[in-house]
Amino acid sequence: MKAEFDASPVSASPAALHPQAAVEAAVPCIRVVDLHKRFADLEVLKGVSFEVHRGTVLSMIGASGSGKSTLLRCINRLETPSAGDVLFEGQSLCQANGRALGYNEVNRIRRDLGMVFQQFNLWPHMTVLQNVMEAPRHVRGMDKARAREVAEACLRRVHLWEKADAYPARLSGGQQQRVAIARALAMQPKVMLFDEATSSLDPELTEEVLAVMRELARDGTTMIVVTHEMGFAREVSDHLMFLHNGLVEEQGPPEQLFGAPRSERLRHFLSKALSRERGA
Amino acid sequence: MSENLREVLDLSLFWEYRTVLLKGLWMSLGVFAASAVLALAVGLGVALLRVGRNAWLRRYAVLHTEVARNAPDYIMIVWVHFVLPLLVGKLIGQRLEFNPFYSAVIALAFVYSGYFAETFRAGIEAIPRGHVEAGQALGMSPRRITWRLVLPQVVRRMLPESTNQFISMFKATSIVSLIAVPDLMYQVSMISSQEMRPLPLYTGAALVYFVIVFCAATALQAFSSRWRSKVYA
Repeated sequence: MKAEFDASPVSASPAALHPQAAVEAAVPCIRVVDLHKRFADLEVLKGVSFEVHRGTVLSMIGASGSGKSTLLRCINRLETPSAGDVLFEGQSLCQANGRALGYNEVNRIRRDLGMVFQQFNLWPHMTVLQNVMEAPRHVRGMDKARAREVAEACLRRVHLWEKADAYPARLSGGQQQRVAIARALAMQPKVMLFDEATSSLDPELTEEVLAVMRELARDGTTMIVVTHEMGFAREVSDHLMFLHNGLVEEQGPPEQLFGAPRSERLRHFLSKALSRERGA
Repeated sequence: MSENLREVLDLSLFWEYRTVLLKGLWMSLGVFAASAVLALAVGLGVALLRVGRNAWLRRYAVLHTEVARNAPDYIMIVWVHFVLPLLVGKLIGQRLEFNPFYSAVIALAFVYSGYFAETFRAGIEAIPRGHVEAGQALGMSPRRITWRLVLPQVVRRMLPESTNQFISMFKATSIVSLIAVPDLMYQVSMISSQEMRPLPLYTGAALVYFVIVFCAATALQAFSSRWRSKVYA
Protein backbone atom coordinates (compact mmCIF):
# COMPACT_ATOMS: atom_id res chain seq x y z
CA MET A 1 0.00 0.00 0.00
CA LYS A 2 1.27 3.45 -0.86
CA ALA A 3 2.10 5.54 2.18
CA GLU A 4 0.35 8.87 2.35
CA PHE A 5 2.70 11.81 1.97
CA ASP A 6 3.39 13.81 5.08
CA ALA A 7 4.07 17.37 3.98
CA SER A 8 6.31 18.00 6.97
CA PRO A 9 10.02 18.15 6.49
CA VAL A 10 11.84 15.41 8.41
CA SER A 11 11.50 16.39 12.04
CA ALA A 12 12.81 14.92 15.25
CA SER A 13 10.98 13.73 18.27
CA PRO A 14 13.57 12.40 20.75
CA ALA A 15 11.10 10.09 22.48
CA ALA A 16 10.44 8.26 19.25
CA LEU A 17 14.08 7.78 18.38
CA HIS A 18 15.60 4.28 18.14
CA PRO A 19 19.03 3.71 19.77
CA GLN A 20 20.72 4.08 16.36
CA ALA A 21 18.72 7.22 15.70
CA ALA A 22 19.63 8.51 19.14
CA VAL A 23 23.30 8.23 18.21
CA GLU A 24 22.57 10.05 14.96
CA ALA A 25 20.67 12.71 16.86
CA ALA A 26 23.79 13.45 18.85
CA VAL A 27 25.51 14.47 15.61
CA PRO A 28 24.57 18.06 14.85
CA CYS A 29 22.32 18.37 11.83
CA ILE A 30 24.40 21.30 10.60
CA ARG A 31 27.86 22.12 11.84
CA VAL A 32 29.72 25.16 10.58
CA VAL A 33 33.44 25.26 11.36
CA ASP A 34 35.52 28.42 11.17
CA LEU A 35 33.84 29.56 7.97
CA HIS A 36 35.46 32.30 5.90
CA LYS A 37 34.13 33.85 2.73
CA ARG A 38 35.94 36.43 0.69
CA PHE A 39 34.76 38.26 -2.44
CA ALA A 40 37.92 39.68 -4.01
CA ASP A 41 39.25 42.13 -1.39
CA LEU A 42 36.16 42.03 0.76
CA GLU A 43 36.08 39.45 3.55
CA VAL A 44 32.40 38.93 4.33
CA LEU A 45 32.75 36.04 6.80
CA LYS A 46 35.75 36.05 9.08
CA GLY A 47 35.56 32.71 10.87
CA VAL A 48 32.06 31.68 11.95
CA SER A 49 31.36 28.46 13.86
CA PHE A 50 28.09 27.05 15.23
CA GLU A 51 25.92 23.95 15.37
CA VAL A 52 22.26 23.32 14.74
CA HIS A 53 20.62 20.23 16.20
CA ARG A 54 17.68 18.34 14.81
CA GLY A 55 14.29 19.87 15.51
CA THR A 56 15.66 23.23 16.59
CA VAL A 57 15.30 26.69 15.09
CA LEU A 58 18.31 28.99 14.76
CA SER A 59 17.67 32.60 13.83
CA MET A 60 20.38 34.89 12.57
CA ILE A 61 19.98 38.61 13.03
CA GLY A 62 22.25 41.51 12.23
CA ALA A 63 22.49 44.65 10.16
CA SER A 64 22.57 44.51 6.36
CA GLY A 65 26.04 43.54 5.20
CA SER A 66 26.86 41.65 8.38
CA GLY A 67 27.21 38.39 6.40
CA LYS A 68 23.96 36.58 7.38
CA SER A 69 22.78 35.78 3.85
CA THR A 70 26.27 34.84 2.68
CA LEU A 71 26.53 32.47 5.62
CA LEU A 72 23.20 30.85 4.75
CA ARG A 73 24.21 30.55 1.09
CA CYS A 74 27.48 28.89 2.12
CA ILE A 75 25.50 26.28 4.06
CA ASN A 76 23.89 24.91 0.91
CA ARG A 77 26.90 25.80 -1.23
CA LEU A 78 25.26 28.47 -3.38
CA GLU A 79 28.46 30.21 -2.33
CA THR A 80 31.73 28.35 -2.01
CA PRO A 81 33.44 29.06 1.31
CA SER A 82 36.97 30.44 1.05
CA ALA A 83 38.02 28.46 4.14
CA GLY A 84 36.45 26.38 6.88
CA ASP A 85 33.82 23.70 6.51
CA VAL A 86 30.09 23.04 6.58
CA LEU A 87 28.95 19.60 7.70
CA PHE A 88 25.48 18.17 7.17
CA GLU A 89 24.87 15.19 9.47
CA GLY A 90 28.62 14.83 9.78
CA GLN A 91 29.26 14.91 6.02
CA SER A 92 31.26 17.80 4.64
CA LEU A 93 29.73 19.92 1.89
CA CYS A 94 33.14 21.23 0.95
CA GLN A 95 35.52 18.29 0.75
CA ALA A 96 35.82 14.52 0.84
CA ASN A 97 39.07 12.56 1.12
CA GLY A 98 41.12 15.74 0.86
CA ARG A 99 39.56 16.93 -2.42
CA ALA A 100 36.85 19.47 -3.14
CA LEU A 101 33.35 18.06 -3.53
CA GLY A 102 32.04 17.98 -7.13
CA TYR A 103 28.76 19.55 -8.28
CA ASN A 104 26.90 16.21 -8.26
CA GLU A 105 28.06 15.35 -4.75
CA VAL A 106 27.02 18.78 -3.47
CA ASN A 107 23.70 18.34 -5.28
CA ARG A 108 22.95 15.07 -3.52
CA ILE A 109 23.29 16.81 -0.16
CA ARG A 110 21.36 19.89 -1.28
CA ARG A 111 18.24 17.77 -1.81
CA ASP A 112 17.94 17.57 1.96
CA LEU A 113 18.38 21.31 2.51
CA GLY A 114 15.29 23.28 1.52
CA MET A 115 15.94 26.92 0.73
CA VAL A 116 13.49 29.83 0.64
CA PHE A 117 14.72 33.05 -0.94
CA GLN A 118 13.90 36.68 -0.30
CA GLN A 119 12.72 37.14 -3.91
CA PHE A 120 10.67 33.88 -3.95
CA ASN A 121 12.30 32.81 -7.24
CA LEU A 122 9.31 30.89 -8.52
CA TRP A 123 9.63 29.85 -12.15
CA PRO A 124 7.17 32.11 -13.97
CA HIS A 125 6.52 29.81 -16.93
CA MET A 126 5.18 27.04 -14.69
CA THR A 127 1.93 26.97 -12.75
CA VAL A 128 2.02 26.78 -8.97
CA LEU A 129 1.49 23.02 -9.11
CA GLN A 130 4.23 22.55 -11.72
CA ASN A 131 6.64 24.63 -9.62
CA VAL A 132 6.07 22.35 -6.64
CA MET A 133 6.10 19.10 -8.65
CA GLU A 134 9.26 19.88 -10.61
CA ALA A 135 11.92 18.76 -8.12
CA PRO A 136 10.13 15.71 -6.68
CA ARG A 137 9.57 14.51 -10.23
CA HIS A 138 12.89 15.29 -11.83
CA VAL A 139 15.29 15.24 -8.88
CA ARG A 140 13.73 12.62 -6.57
CA GLY A 141 12.52 10.66 -9.63
CA MET A 142 8.89 10.27 -8.49
CA ASP A 143 6.28 9.34 -11.08
CA LYS A 144 3.79 12.04 -12.06
CA ALA A 145 0.91 10.79 -9.90
CA ARG A 146 3.08 10.54 -6.79
CA ALA A 147 4.69 13.94 -7.40
CA ARG A 148 1.22 15.47 -7.77
CA GLU A 149 0.11 13.89 -4.53
CA VAL A 150 3.18 15.27 -2.76
CA ALA A 151 2.66 18.72 -4.29
CA GLU A 152 -0.99 18.73 -3.25
CA ALA A 153 -0.10 17.88 0.35
CA CYS A 154 2.50 20.66 0.44
CA LEU A 155 0.21 23.26 -1.13
CA ARG A 156 -2.57 22.37 1.31
CA ARG A 157 -0.07 22.80 4.10
CA VAL A 158 0.58 26.40 3.04
CA HIS A 159 -3.17 26.86 2.38
CA LEU A 160 -2.76 27.44 -1.37
CA TRP A 161 -4.15 24.33 -3.04
CA GLU A 162 -6.89 26.42 -4.64
CA LYS A 163 -4.18 28.32 -6.56
CA ALA A 164 -2.58 25.15 -7.98
CA ASP A 165 -3.35 26.05 -11.59
CA ALA A 166 -2.45 29.75 -11.35
CA TYR A 167 0.77 31.20 -12.70
CA PRO A 168 3.01 32.93 -10.14
CA ALA A 169 2.47 36.34 -11.78
CA ARG A 170 -1.19 36.15 -10.69
CA LEU A 171 -0.33 35.70 -7.00
CA SER A 172 0.44 38.24 -4.29
CA GLY A 173 3.97 38.36 -2.85
CA GLY A 174 2.87 36.50 0.28
CA GLN A 175 1.20 33.77 -1.76
CA GLN A 176 4.30 33.45 -3.96
CA GLN A 177 6.47 33.03 -0.90
CA ARG A 178 4.15 30.37 0.50
CA VAL A 179 4.38 28.51 -2.82
CA ALA A 180 8.16 28.78 -2.56
CA ILE A 181 7.94 27.21 0.91
CA ALA A 182 5.72 24.42 -0.47
CA ARG A 183 8.23 23.88 -3.28
CA ALA A 184 11.04 23.41 -0.77
CA LEU A 185 8.87 21.19 1.48
CA ALA A 186 8.00 18.90 -1.43
CA MET A 187 11.55 17.55 -1.34
CA GLN A 188 10.97 16.58 2.31
CA PRO A 189 14.17 18.30 3.39
CA LYS A 190 15.84 17.65 6.72
CA VAL A 191 16.64 21.34 7.20
CA MET A 192 14.85 24.44 5.96
CA LEU A 193 16.90 27.56 5.25
CA PHE A 194 15.05 30.89 5.09
CA ASP A 195 16.92 33.83 3.60
CA GLU A 196 15.02 36.97 4.66
CA ALA A 197 11.83 35.30 3.50
CA THR A 198 9.62 38.27 4.42
CA SER A 199 11.92 41.21 3.62
CA SER A 200 10.28 42.07 0.31
CA LEU A 201 6.71 41.83 1.64
CA ASP A 202 4.49 44.47 3.18
CA PRO A 203 3.43 43.89 6.82
CA GLU A 204 0.11 42.21 6.00
CA LEU A 205 1.68 39.72 3.61
CA THR A 206 4.62 39.22 5.98
CA GLU A 207 2.24 37.89 8.62
CA GLU A 208 0.79 35.15 6.37
CA VAL A 209 4.30 33.88 5.57
CA LEU A 210 5.39 34.06 9.22
CA ALA A 211 2.29 32.06 10.19
CA VAL A 212 3.38 29.23 7.89
CA MET A 213 6.93 29.40 9.27
CA ARG A 214 5.58 29.28 12.84
CA GLU A 215 3.62 26.14 11.97
CA LEU A 216 6.76 24.53 10.58
CA ALA A 217 8.69 25.39 13.74
CA ARG A 218 5.89 24.01 15.91
CA ASP A 219 6.03 20.74 13.99
CA GLY A 220 9.69 20.31 14.89
CA THR A 221 11.26 21.33 11.59
CA THR A 222 14.96 22.05 11.78
CA MET A 223 15.25 25.63 10.55
CA ILE A 224 17.92 28.26 10.02
CA VAL A 225 16.26 31.61 9.56
CA VAL A 226 17.90 34.85 8.48
CA THR A 227 15.43 37.52 9.49
CA HIS A 228 14.76 41.12 10.33
CA GLU A 229 11.54 40.16 12.17
CA MET A 230 12.59 40.49 15.79
CA GLY A 231 9.21 39.40 17.17
CA PHE A 232 9.32 36.23 15.12
CA ALA A 233 12.93 35.51 16.07
CA ARG A 234 12.13 35.92 19.74
CA GLU A 235 8.99 33.79 19.62
CA VAL A 236 10.11 30.90 17.44
CA SER A 237 13.88 30.46 17.84
CA ASP A 238 15.59 28.00 20.14
CA HIS A 239 18.85 29.77 19.52
CA LEU A 240 19.64 33.26 18.33
CA MET A 241 22.82 34.50 16.69
CA PHE A 242 23.78 38.14 16.18
CA LEU A 243 26.28 38.69 13.40
CA HIS A 244 28.34 41.81 13.04
CA ASN A 245 30.92 42.48 10.38
CA GLY A 246 31.37 38.81 9.43
CA LEU A 247 31.68 37.49 12.98
CA VAL A 248 29.29 36.10 15.58
CA GLU A 249 29.10 38.99 18.02
CA GLU A 250 26.77 37.28 20.45
CA GLN A 251 24.66 34.12 20.58
CA GLY A 252 22.43 32.25 22.97
CA PRO A 253 18.77 31.68 23.87
CA PRO A 254 16.54 34.45 22.48
CA GLU A 255 15.31 35.50 25.91
CA GLN A 256 18.91 36.11 26.94
CA LEU A 257 19.84 38.12 23.84
CA PHE A 258 16.66 40.15 23.89
CA GLY A 259 16.46 40.41 27.70
CA ALA A 260 20.04 41.10 28.63
CA PRO A 261 22.28 41.69 25.62
CA ARG A 262 25.93 41.75 26.61
CA SER A 263 27.39 43.48 23.58
CA GLU A 264 26.94 47.18 23.03
CA ARG A 265 26.46 46.58 19.27
CA LEU A 266 23.60 44.15 19.87
CA ARG A 267 21.95 46.58 22.29
CA HIS A 268 22.19 49.32 19.69
CA PHE A 269 20.91 47.02 16.90
CA LEU A 270 17.97 45.79 18.98
CA SER A 271 16.92 49.25 20.11
CA LYS A 272 16.81 50.42 16.48
CA ALA A 273 15.12 47.26 15.18
CA LEU A 274 12.51 47.15 17.94
CA SER A 275 11.65 50.83 17.65
CA ARG A 276 11.23 50.35 13.88
CA GLU A 277 8.89 47.38 14.49
CA ARG A 278 6.90 49.40 17.02
CA GLY A 279 6.67 52.21 14.47
CA ALA A 280 5.41 49.80 11.83
CA MET B 1 -4.44 55.34 -66.04
CA SER B 2 -1.27 55.21 -68.12
CA GLU B 3 -0.51 52.16 -70.21
CA ASN B 4 2.54 51.33 -68.09
CA LEU B 5 0.63 51.43 -64.82
CA ARG B 6 -2.18 49.33 -66.25
CA GLU B 7 0.41 46.73 -67.25
CA VAL B 8 1.97 46.70 -63.77
CA LEU B 9 -1.37 46.15 -62.08
CA ASP B 10 -2.69 43.55 -64.51
CA LEU B 11 -1.94 40.29 -62.71
CA SER B 12 -3.62 37.96 -65.19
CA LEU B 13 -0.22 36.83 -66.50
CA PHE B 14 0.81 35.94 -62.91
CA TRP B 15 -2.40 33.96 -62.50
CA GLU B 16 -1.86 32.19 -65.81
CA TYR B 17 1.42 30.71 -64.56
CA ARG B 18 0.09 29.92 -61.09
CA THR B 19 1.03 26.21 -61.15
CA VAL B 20 4.70 26.75 -61.81
CA LEU B 21 4.82 29.82 -59.52
CA LEU B 22 3.22 27.84 -56.72
CA LYS B 23 5.89 25.19 -57.15
CA GLY B 24 8.47 27.97 -56.80
CA LEU B 25 6.74 29.26 -53.69
CA TRP B 26 6.89 25.83 -52.09
CA MET B 27 10.62 25.78 -52.80
CA SER B 28 10.99 29.22 -51.15
CA LEU B 29 9.10 27.97 -48.10
CA GLY B 30 11.25 24.83 -48.05
CA VAL B 31 14.48 26.86 -48.09
CA PHE B 32 13.08 29.07 -45.32
CA ALA B 33 11.92 26.20 -43.11
CA ALA B 34 15.16 24.23 -43.42
CA SER B 35 17.41 27.26 -42.84
CA ALA B 36 15.24 28.50 -39.93
CA VAL B 37 15.48 25.15 -38.11
CA LEU B 38 19.23 24.95 -38.72
CA ALA B 39 19.81 28.60 -37.76
CA LEU B 40 17.85 28.17 -34.51
CA ALA B 41 19.75 25.00 -33.57
CA VAL B 42 23.17 26.49 -34.37
CA GLY B 43 22.21 29.82 -32.76
CA LEU B 44 21.17 28.07 -29.54
CA GLY B 45 24.38 26.03 -29.48
CA VAL B 46 26.53 29.13 -30.02
CA ALA B 47 24.61 31.08 -27.35
CA LEU B 48 25.13 28.28 -24.82
CA LEU B 49 28.86 28.30 -25.61
CA ARG B 50 28.89 32.08 -25.24
CA VAL B 51 27.47 31.96 -21.70
CA GLY B 52 29.39 28.79 -20.77
CA ARG B 53 32.49 28.44 -18.64
CA ASN B 54 35.06 27.43 -21.25
CA ALA B 55 36.98 30.54 -22.33
CA TRP B 56 38.05 29.07 -25.72
CA LEU B 57 34.53 28.03 -26.60
CA ARG B 58 33.33 31.49 -25.56
CA ARG B 59 35.86 33.05 -27.94
CA TYR B 60 34.72 30.75 -30.74
CA ALA B 61 31.10 31.76 -30.06
CA VAL B 62 31.98 35.46 -30.31
CA LEU B 63 33.88 34.87 -33.59
CA HIS B 64 31.02 32.82 -35.05
CA THR B 65 28.46 35.46 -34.12
CA GLU B 66 30.47 38.34 -35.53
CA VAL B 67 31.40 36.62 -38.80
CA ALA B 68 27.83 35.41 -39.34
CA ARG B 69 26.15 38.72 -38.57
CA ASN B 70 28.53 40.78 -40.65
CA ALA B 71 28.40 38.63 -43.78
CA PRO B 72 25.87 39.85 -46.39
CA ASP B 73 23.35 37.12 -47.31
CA TYR B 74 24.03 37.63 -51.03
CA ILE B 75 27.80 37.14 -50.79
CA MET B 76 27.46 34.24 -48.37
CA ILE B 77 25.16 32.34 -50.73
CA VAL B 78 27.60 32.78 -53.63
CA TRP B 79 30.56 31.92 -51.41
CA VAL B 80 29.02 28.74 -49.98
CA HIS B 81 27.92 27.55 -53.42
CA PHE B 82 31.05 28.35 -55.42
CA VAL B 83 34.03 28.81 -53.07
CA LEU B 84 33.31 26.36 -50.26
CA PRO B 85 33.16 23.30 -52.56
CA LEU B 86 36.56 24.30 -54.00
CA LEU B 87 38.09 24.56 -50.52
CA VAL B 88 36.55 21.34 -49.23
CA GLY B 89 37.38 19.58 -52.52
CA LYS B 90 41.01 20.69 -52.18
CA LEU B 91 41.12 19.34 -48.62
CA ILE B 92 39.73 15.91 -49.52
CA GLY B 93 41.45 15.81 -52.93
CA GLN B 94 38.24 15.41 -54.88
CA ARG B 95 36.10 17.57 -57.18
CA LEU B 96 33.01 18.68 -55.30
CA GLU B 97 29.76 20.38 -56.24
CA PHE B 98 26.97 21.44 -53.86
CA ASN B 99 23.28 21.08 -54.60
CA PRO B 100 21.96 24.69 -54.83
CA PHE B 101 19.22 23.98 -52.29
CA TYR B 102 21.75 22.83 -49.68
CA SER B 103 24.09 25.74 -50.46
CA ALA B 104 21.23 28.20 -49.93
CA VAL B 105 20.15 26.55 -46.69
CA ILE B 106 23.70 26.42 -45.29
CA ALA B 107 24.42 30.06 -46.23
CA LEU B 108 21.19 31.49 -44.81
CA ALA B 109 21.36 29.29 -41.70
CA PHE B 110 24.92 30.46 -41.06
CA VAL B 111 24.12 34.17 -41.42
CA TYR B 112 20.97 34.00 -39.27
CA SER B 113 22.54 31.70 -36.66
CA GLY B 114 24.57 34.79 -35.68
CA TYR B 115 21.43 36.83 -35.09
CA PHE B 116 19.65 34.01 -33.26
CA ALA B 117 22.74 33.38 -31.10
CA GLU B 118 22.62 37.00 -29.94
CA THR B 119 18.88 36.82 -29.27
CA PHE B 120 19.28 33.58 -27.30
CA ARG B 121 22.23 35.01 -25.37
CA ALA B 122 20.35 38.16 -24.43
CA GLY B 123 17.38 36.00 -23.38
CA ILE B 124 19.55 33.72 -21.24
CA GLU B 125 21.26 36.64 -19.56
CA ALA B 126 17.90 38.27 -18.81
CA ILE B 127 16.76 35.29 -16.70
CA PRO B 128 17.09 36.31 -13.05
CA ARG B 129 19.98 34.54 -11.35
CA GLY B 130 17.60 33.54 -8.55
CA HIS B 131 15.60 31.25 -10.87
CA VAL B 132 18.75 29.25 -11.54
CA GLU B 133 19.71 29.27 -7.86
CA ALA B 134 16.26 27.96 -6.91
CA GLY B 135 16.95 24.98 -9.19
CA GLN B 136 20.42 24.49 -7.77
CA ALA B 137 19.13 24.65 -4.21
CA LEU B 138 16.70 21.83 -5.01
CA GLY B 139 19.54 19.69 -6.34
CA MET B 140 18.82 20.03 -10.07
CA SER B 141 21.62 19.32 -12.54
CA PRO B 142 22.91 22.14 -14.79
CA ARG B 143 21.44 20.39 -17.84
CA ARG B 144 18.00 20.14 -16.27
CA ILE B 145 18.18 23.77 -15.14
CA THR B 146 19.01 24.83 -18.71
CA TRP B 147 16.30 22.77 -20.42
CA ARG B 148 13.49 22.98 -17.86
CA LEU B 149 13.98 26.39 -16.25
CA VAL B 150 16.05 28.67 -18.48
CA LEU B 151 15.24 27.86 -22.12
CA PRO B 152 11.42 27.81 -21.79
CA GLN B 153 11.65 31.33 -20.38
CA VAL B 154 14.17 32.41 -23.01
CA VAL B 155 11.88 31.26 -25.84
CA ARG B 156 9.02 33.37 -24.46
CA ARG B 157 11.26 36.39 -24.05
CA MET B 158 12.83 36.14 -27.51
CA LEU B 159 9.60 35.59 -29.49
CA PRO B 160 8.99 39.25 -30.45
CA GLU B 161 12.56 39.77 -31.66
CA SER B 162 12.64 36.38 -33.37
CA THR B 163 9.54 37.31 -35.34
CA ASN B 164 11.55 40.11 -36.98
CA GLN B 165 14.40 37.74 -37.70
CA PHE B 166 12.10 35.16 -39.26
CA ILE B 167 10.64 37.91 -41.47
CA SER B 168 14.09 39.03 -42.62
CA MET B 169 15.04 35.44 -43.22
CA PHE B 170 11.98 34.69 -45.32
CA LYS B 171 12.58 37.82 -47.38
CA ALA B 172 16.21 36.77 -47.83
CA THR B 173 15.07 33.55 -49.52
CA SER B 174 14.17 35.76 -52.51
CA ILE B 175 17.84 35.90 -53.51
CA VAL B 176 18.54 32.17 -53.63
CA SER B 177 17.61 32.14 -57.35
CA LEU B 178 21.09 33.60 -57.72
CA ILE B 179 22.53 30.08 -57.54
CA ALA B 180 19.62 28.57 -59.52
CA VAL B 181 17.45 27.34 -56.65
CA PRO B 182 14.06 27.03 -58.42
CA ASP B 183 12.18 29.25 -55.95
CA LEU B 184 9.42 31.79 -56.63
CA MET B 185 11.78 34.50 -57.87
CA TYR B 186 13.59 32.03 -60.11
CA GLN B 187 10.28 31.06 -61.73
CA VAL B 188 9.32 34.73 -62.07
CA SER B 189 12.54 35.58 -63.86
CA MET B 190 12.23 32.51 -66.15
CA ILE B 191 8.66 33.43 -67.12
CA SER B 192 9.48 37.12 -67.59
CA SER B 193 12.36 36.36 -69.94
CA GLN B 194 9.97 34.18 -71.91
CA GLU B 195 7.01 36.57 -71.92
CA MET B 196 9.01 39.82 -71.91
CA ARG B 197 6.55 41.31 -69.39
CA PRO B 198 8.45 41.45 -66.10
CA LEU B 199 6.44 44.16 -64.33
CA PRO B 200 3.18 42.29 -63.55
CA LEU B 201 5.16 39.19 -62.60
CA TYR B 202 7.37 41.04 -60.12
CA THR B 203 4.36 42.94 -58.76
CA GLY B 204 2.57 39.62 -58.22
CA ALA B 205 5.62 38.15 -56.48
CA ALA B 206 5.89 41.22 -54.24
CA LEU B 207 2.22 40.82 -53.30
CA VAL B 208 2.71 37.12 -52.48
CA TYR B 209 5.69 37.92 -50.24
CA PHE B 210 3.77 40.73 -48.55
CA VAL B 211 0.66 38.63 -47.85
CA ILE B 212 2.68 35.71 -46.45
CA VAL B 213 4.90 37.87 -44.24
CA PHE B 214 2.02 40.03 -43.01
CA CYS B 215 -0.25 37.09 -42.12
CA ALA B 216 2.53 35.05 -40.49
CA ALA B 217 3.85 38.01 -38.48
CA THR B 218 0.37 39.00 -37.29
CA ALA B 219 -0.44 35.44 -36.24
CA LEU B 220 2.92 34.99 -34.50
CA GLN B 221 2.58 38.29 -32.64
CA ALA B 222 -0.93 37.45 -31.47
CA PHE B 223 0.18 34.00 -30.33
CA SER B 224 3.28 35.38 -28.66
CA SER B 225 1.45 38.10 -26.69
CA ARG B 226 -1.23 35.63 -25.53
CA TRP B 227 1.41 33.10 -24.52
CA ARG B 228 3.53 35.68 -22.71
CA SER B 229 0.62 37.36 -20.94
CA LYS B 230 -0.03 34.20 -18.90
CA VAL B 231 3.49 34.31 -17.55
CA TYR B 232 4.34 38.00 -17.33
CA ALA B 233 1.41 39.82 -15.75
